[in-house]
Amino acid sequence: MIVVDKLCYRSKLRYVNASEKFVFSILTLLFCVVSRSLVIAGIVFAVNSYLTVQKGKIPGLLYARLLTIPFLFLIMSTLAIIVNISKIPLDAYAIPVGSFFITGSFQSLLFGIQLIATAMASVSCLYFLSLNTTMTDFLRVLLKLRCPKILAELMLLIYRFIFVLLETASAIMVSQKSRLGNKDLRTSLDSFGKMGAGLLLRAFWRSNALYDAMESRCYDGEIRVLEEEYPVRRAEIAAIAAFELVLLGITIWRKTL
Amino acid sequence: MSTAEQDIIIEVKNVHFSYEEGGPDSLDNVSLKIRRGSKVAFMGANGCGKSTFFLCCNGIHKPCKGTILFNGEPVDYSKKGLLDLRGKVGIVFQDPDNQLFSASVYQEISFGALNMGMGPEKAKKEVEEVMDYLEITPFRDRPTHALSGGQKKQVSIADILVMHPDVMILDEPGAALDAKHTKKVNEIVDKLAEEGITILMATHDVDYALSWADEIILMHEGKVLLQADPVTVCTNVEALTMTNQEEPAVLRLFRQLRSKGILKQDLKPPVSMKELERYIEQTGK
Repeated sequence: MIVVDKLCYRSKLRYVNASEKFVFSILTLLFCVVSRSLVIAGIVFAVNSYLTVQKGKIPGLLYARLLTIPFLFLIMSTLAIIVNISKIPLDAYAIPVGSFFITGSFQSLLFGIQLIATAMASVSCLYFLSLNTTMTDFLRVLLKLRCPKILAELMLLIYRFIFVLLETASAIMVSQKSRLGNKDLRTSLDSFGKMGAGLLLRAFWRSNALYDAMESRCYDGEIRVLEEEYPVRRAEIAAIAAFELVLLGITIWRKTL
Repeated sequence: MSTAEQDIIIEVKNVHFSYEEGGPDSLDNVSLKIRRGSKVAFMGANGCGKSTFFLCCNGIHKPCKGTILFNGEPVDYSKKGLLDLRGKVGIVFQDPDNQLFSASVYQEISFGALNMGMGPEKAKKEVEEVMDYLEITPFRDRPTHALSGGQKKQVSIADILVMHPDVMILDEPGAALDAKHTKKVNEIVDKLAEEGITILMATHDVDYALSWADEIILMHEGKVLLQADPVTVCTNVEALTMTNQEEPAVLRLFRQLRSKGILKQDLKPPVSMKELERYIEQTGK
């Protein structure tokens, strides 16, 4: 969470209009999901990775490391589709284990690969958005999309409090460790529970303090702040439109095959 | 209203405040007057009621008994009255993490200005001016959680300054700051005082209070123990000890030099090391 937040503030694409980035990633994501095509997944993954790493200057290694998290999760969940245990061997592979086979069909193998490719391409769309768009800009897009103001305000406060509470949790954990609070599993679990309880109480206390501070600045139930928007560039709009048209073309072509 | 009365910006008359009904008074019969444009240091042990008093001045807490007058008028606790008061009396909280909530510095500073009813264009101009004034423009787009302690404090001050308050309350502005950032914050406070803003500051730094303040208010267990000029308060060792404060180093040194006959007996107590150095230089000549 903190890494993603830091990266988006460093991204060279940060100052590109947030609505453009939002439309690009959501449309692209839709094409990925609707088409379920390996070609589209490949193109989308490559383009998003290029934009994030080359244009956004997000370190490639870090980007790859971030991608491994959903990738590992996908592999684990797709194993159930690719691997079967059966008495009858299927056409793709079959490893005999006693009177059974660990086996799979070409169809399920293809389906598994297609699923992983589509999911990874979709993840790359969301990574493009989250690694290059700050929370402030993202909230502004949500408001433009007529997202209820109360929801956007809650997101803003939650976003702020994640960092405050993470800092507090980290300080509590350091303090516990310094007093042998993790000497064995039992003590560690006990310390973790106490940290959670302490954190909850502090969250209540901090929310009261924050409310007082907001009231002292004439807060009347609605959060009003100035918005700064980066200009929409025609060239970028044209590039996004062209790319989405290409994806649309491929989707139609694949569906008519 | 006489000129002397007009000179008083905040007057507190027999104020009592308790966080729990029937519980102990956090403010116990507090009465004091704050002069317009003055620099007042509030001192006292932790939990003596300084922060509670500040929250009463801003209308966050309503006294259980007693009256608070702002510009000679009793505080109006209606919604409109409180908004008016809070636009004129601003608080910079001790822990900036309890004050800053926005996703970016620019948005954070604009919050108070927009709440006061400024139009977006005017608010934009004001925010830019305050950011320039406090030299925070370089990190205007950063999220508030990515700022250093000193930067957070600068932004907290900007939050209030953009509202153009008549009174600025700073609750231990040097807390958890290193020497460099404390100096920076103190410089900002001096600039504000020069512009005629009334400053109320809670501090445990007796040396700073002695050299900076026009007046010191010493609080003890929810009561005002002493309100006087800095030298009178800081030479009252008994009152300082009672409130867990120490005699300022410069006054301790001055006392010792005088008792040893190095400095003349008729010299006025110095309020800063520079003044004491001057005394010593004059003795040498």
